[in-house]
Amino acid sequence: MQTKDQRICLWLVPFFGSLFIFAFWNFQGFFPPMSPTMSAGEVAAFYRDNLGHIRSSMILCNVIGVSLIPFYTVIVVQMMRMVNASRVFAYSYLIAVINGGTLFALADLAWLNAAFRPERDPQLTMLLNDLAWFAFITPVGFVIVQNFCLAMAIYLDKGPQLVFPRWVAHFNIVTALLIAPSAFALMYKTGPLAWDGAISFWLHLSTGALYVVVMFFVVRAAIRQQDDKAVAAQSSWKEQTA
Amino acid sequence: MTGAALVSTSGSATRSSRFVDNPKLDQWICFWSIPVFYTLFGVIFVLLGRIMPPPTPTMSTEGIVAFMTSPGLSLAVVLLALSLGLYALNSGLMLTQMKRMEGVSPVLRYAYIAVLGVGGLPGCLFPGYMFALGAFRPEYDPAILAMLYDLGFLCFVGSLGCFVIQYVVFSIAVFLDKRGIFPKWLGYFSIWTLVTELVATPVFVTQTGPYAWDGLLSFYQGTVIWVAWQTCVTICLYKAIKSQPLEELSIPLKPNEI
Repeated sequence: MQTKDQRICLWLVPFFGSLFIFAFWNFQGFFPPMSPTMSAGEVAAFYRDNLGHIRSSMILCNVIGVSLIPFYTVIVVQMMRMVNASRVFAYSYLIAVINGGTLFALADLAWLNAAFRPERDPQLTMLLNDLAWFAFITPVGFVIVQNFCLAMAIYLDKGPQLVFPRWVAHFNIVTALLIAPSAFALMYKTGPLAWDGAISFWLHLSTGALYVVVMFFVVRAAIRQQDDKAVAAQSSWKEQTA
Repeated sequence: MTGAALVSTSGSATRSSRFVDNPKLDQWICFWSIPVFYTLFGVIFVLLGRIMPPPTPTMSTEGIVAFMTSPGLSLAVVLLALSLGLYALNSGLMLTQMKRMEGVSPVLRYAYIAVLGVGGLPGCLFPGYMFALGAFRPEYDPAILAMLYDLGFLCFVGSLGCFVIQYVVFSIAVFLDKRGIFPKWLGYFSIWTLVTELVATPVFVTQTGPYAWDGLLSFYQGTVIWVAWQTCVTICLYKAIKSQPLEELSIPLKPNEI
């Protein structure tokens, strides 16, 4: 079957997703999230006290950091199937995916570096910790453009049978809007917009998790539709040649 | 336009004066993101952040603290984090037009995707984060603030590699293209822009004079030529989309074609 590779990439999502859940739970700095108001001494103490947890979680995150990329490239392939005037949104989506993935890879390196020498000057540990949280929470611009491209491609899909139903476009716009305010974590140390706040942390991560789950089923349905179409095309070809 | 809609030459699509009914709507959306993005770019780096034109590399500690604590800097980086992704739409549009070229294989498009997938980070968002870190905690040790200041400006002015290869790939495509999607002079202009990028390489070893990161050659000359190049590319993109025949739209992909 033509879609075997896509289905393999799709089923990597629950596998890596569960590893992510484990790594995030194990980190100790996420539930509850570390506060930006911690002093340099407190941040350094956090690293000293949770060294094993931080290292094991972030080494795992370093390995699986960009593991959702195969899933997003399945979405690119499905976008290429849509009947749009051009493939401009699929190309833009791909570039946005590459950019976004690079940033998460940077975040876990900063966390690991902070944990590498717990005896380091606490100011430097705090600097690395700040950088890690910035790179983890705030680069939302790429996700916004990614979702915007997918939504526009769906709205403009003129095919007789839609690859993704129209509600997926609305869903992508809504998730982009919910995630967008997290960029303000670069500015605020307290309140809902701080990196440990209700909007920047809890809403952001739960929206992100829900998005991946919903898109998993949406993409699965689109791959099935592609299979059905291939089978139908083959049987009609057989009828014609018979 | 007289009638409600005019039937186009291909007969399948209809043309009307409404923007949303334009058969090339997808490309036009991406096209108009370019002026929006560069307007925001100006607001972020010039008006709010005061990162452009850059302050001197020989700044005193008090000067660095004053730069990092200026009120607009954090907001500038927030806007950058929100809007940098728009650059992907510009790149996607370039790729769409490069795909129309004749005598150019996908190899240049793949290179363009890879280069632009990395390009914006070391030269734009990463330096933004260095400034945001300083603005977030001005109470950092002055030595740390000075390092963030250097790292920010060296990356912002000195991160050239991705752009150099972008110009190389783009100009090769323009030169090889037999259809003339983009004019040949744009290829030569890209090479010229590449050379001005190379002129900025000494920013890493000099702190004063025309080759420093705030210098006449490294910063001002490069920026002026880059703005002119970006303007020309945008105008050429406009013409390329405008002249694209409607028959080229909505063509189904061949299997395994990207």
